[in-house]
Amino acid sequence: MSTVVILAPIVIANWPVIAAAVGAAVGTLGFAMTRTAGSTAEHAATTREELEVENSEILPAMAGEEERIVVEREGVRAIFTRDARGALRVCMEGTGQSRSELRRLGQELIDRVTQQYVYHRVVTELKARNMTIVDEEVAEDRTVKIRVRGW
Amino acid sequence: MAKEELEIEIGPSGKVTARTIGVKGPRCLELADLLARIVGREESRTLTNEYYETEQHVQDATQVRQRRN
Repeated sequence: MSTVVILAPIVIANWPVIAAAVGAAVGTLGFAMTRTAGSTAEHAATTREELEVENSEILPAMAGEEERIVVEREGVRAIFTRDARGALRVCMEGTGQSRSELRRLGQELIDRVTQQYVYHRVVTELKARNMTIVDEEVAEDRTVKIRVRGW
Repeated sequence: MAKEELEIEIGPSGKVTARTIGVKGPRCLELADLLARIVGREESRTLTNEYYETEQHVQDATQVRQRRN
């Protein structure tokens, strides 16, 4: 080995990229996308908790693009939005959960979305530079390990 | 000659640890810089023995050449 570098992710993306990362990540926690955000009224949430994704900057959407994704799992709803400052925000709503439970679940969702975003960005950028992924595996703790050659 | 590899680990919260393997000299720094541009903020960077050994070999060879001249 010659260098070891540790990097904290910064999420800078447009809404479609974030939507793709959310779509790929939330299913692993048993959440499913709802068809429309309009079903909010049917969801009688008793507890609500808001979380911001640190180090995130979501580029403004194109005209007509909705900056909102709603996912649900038995009694819990997570709403991903771009806030006024451009950061990615998640509003957790639930019935029967404490605020700390919702916060923990929300943070887990954010972690998975961030990991998915980073994975997609790393793979896309390396391939664009004609680098070859020779091995890829997912460890028990969900760490994704990639080996790359050919630059 | 050992194969040059880049080993990347993307942790459960998106934090990345990358290691260059068999990459000689400062070229490994270029790879680290590339990953930093792709992922985000660099938290730490460690140069391991191989980096310094390689640099030392280059330096030694230069000194030998200078002494011969």
